[in-house]
Amino acid sequence: MFDEVCVVIEREGDIVSARQQGRTLAAVTGFSTTDQTMIALAISEIARNIITYAQRGQVIISRLDDGVRRGILVVARDDGPGIPNIELAMRDGYSTGKSLGVGLPGSKRVMDEFELVSAPGAGTTVTMKKWLR
Amino acid sequence: MAVPILKQGHVLIASIQAALSDRELVQLRDALSEQVGKFRSRGVLIDVTELDVLDSFATRTLRSIAYTAKLRGADAVIVGIQPDVAFAMVQLGLSLDGVATALDFEEGLAYLGRPARQAGHRVR
Amino acid sequence: MTEQIQQAAPRTLMHEMGLNSAAIERRKKIVGFEPADVERIAALRDLVKVHTEQYVTTFFSHLAGIEEARSLLGSRTLLEKARQLKRDHLVAMVQGDYGASYVEQRLELGLLYARAGLDARVFLGAFHQLLKQVGTAVMKQFERTPAEGFENFMSLKKIAFFDIGLIVDTLVFERERTIRQQQEAIRELSTPVLQIRERLLLLPIIGVIDTHRARFITEGLLRAIRANRAKVVVMDVTGVATIDSKVANHLLQTVSAARLMGALVIVTGLSSEVAQSLVALGIELTTLNTVGDLQGGLEEAERVLGYRVLVTEAGVHPAPSVS
Repeated sequence: MFDEVCVVIEREGDIVSARQQGRTLAAVTGFSTTDQTMIALAISEIARNIITYAQRGQVIISRLDDGVRRGILVVARDDGPGIPNIELAMRDGYSTGKSLGVGLPGSKRVMDEFELVSAPGAGTTVTMKKWLR
Repeated sequence: MAVPILKQGHVLIASIQAALSDRELVQLRDALSEQVGKFRSRGVLIDVTELDVLDSFATRTLRSIAYTAKLRGADAVIVGIQPDVAFAMVQLGLSLDGVATALDFEEGLAYLGRPARQAGHRVR
Repeated sequence: MTEQIQQAAPRTLMHEMGLNSAAIERRKKIVGFEPADVERIAALRDLVKVHTEQYVTTFFSHLAGIEEARSLLGSRTLLEKARQLKRDHLVAMVQGDYGASYVEQRLELGLLYARAGLDARVFLGAFHQLLKQVGTAVMKQFERTPAEGFENFMSLKKIAFFDIGLIVDTLVFERERTIRQQQEAIRELSTPVLQIRERLLLLPIIGVIDTHRARFITEGLLRAIRANRAKVVVMDVTGVATIDSKVANHLLQTVSAARLMGALVIVTGLSSEVAQSLVALGIELTTLNTVGDLQGGLEEAERVLGYRVLVTEAGVHPAPSVS
């Protein structure tokens, strides 16, 4: 059974690949098409951040099952320069790059759980989860 | 060219059939910009019915297409955003404010072919 | 034809219940199943196989005495199928292979029970009787080495609990599926989207709006816009219990999403007090098209769509204008 997929992000074409595979895994897990779209969107934004700020990283999407609930887990990791001011980055509308500034706070909105760990020179890891209702 | 651009009278039509990479989206924008100038088109219709996701880059590029078209004297309209996609965009905080949108191809053409704007209804 | 559908169902159910190999291993771990148990169960293989028919009869006789099992026992085809599956189960229970196909077999029986409306309690009662009879036979066979007999039976019980877990979870899952379907139906009825003219939808919202309901309403509206090719939606909020900043944001999101699909939303029923308090809270209301009452909203919508109301001698009729 299709449980986990790992997508290397180093070319912008990988963004589409990551979100399409994420959508497939979400569908297999049982998410509605609306939720599949939101998950695909969150993956797209996070993967794009990797290309924009770190040039290279990976996105691992896997099915979750804690015995009570089922869902999907997305972990995006890169060894880029890190985010110096996380609070600022999570504020709506803020942007240092070419993005609209909705990538991080927006993804947090559409997923159920969201965690960001980053430090200058130490890379960035974004962990997001969405559960089946 | 990833997305073929068709000319129908004074209108340029681009139907996006599958997920486009960032580069292909930018190519589309540049191609449309060039052709609007070349054919002195009055309208640009972009059909995104087949797209299952519109992320921040795609949204930004669509805005850019509309803006560029306007600079060259053409109206632009995005058609075919699906319910799931519209919902997800709004949840994420993406907006196409300032860009005309219509339900589908037919509505899009009707919008582009409408008589000069009257007071009252404006699609914002 | 029905046979084929029923065969496909256990596999799909396994998928839906997330019963992949990792999940199956975890379930075995939960009942304390170890490789050593396989050998002990093997020692009981002949005993169980010889008396299979007896045990199956015990199980169903017990059910016969229970009112709630009537629906299963009433249908000859269901009963026959259940007996056959039960027979296969008992044999498989002592075979030693407890992987995906073993699980699928349990699910198939669970589905049958679910469709017959068999309750978990009823099933457990009958299964307990069956195990008791097996236990008695085991202790008899191992009269001279009771400790060994007991240990073997305990190993078998672990698999029995593994089975129980699967069957009960199947029953619960299927019941929840029914409940979910009923809830969907209720929700659909509670927020109807009405087409009152060509290209014009009316969405009267009544009651309390929480995030979950707001989302359901929005999704329904967007699908209705597509299905009806609506250009204008009149969203009436007169009946909404409380409009605080959260609800207002839901409304704004609905309007934005509708706009992305080319539909204009006219909000009616927003009292000026509520509007003022929302503005005071910093909610951006300027993007909303609001009209005081529903009637006014409908008239505005008709105007936008190009309808003109003609007053003739016979009465008032709306007529689409020629553009």
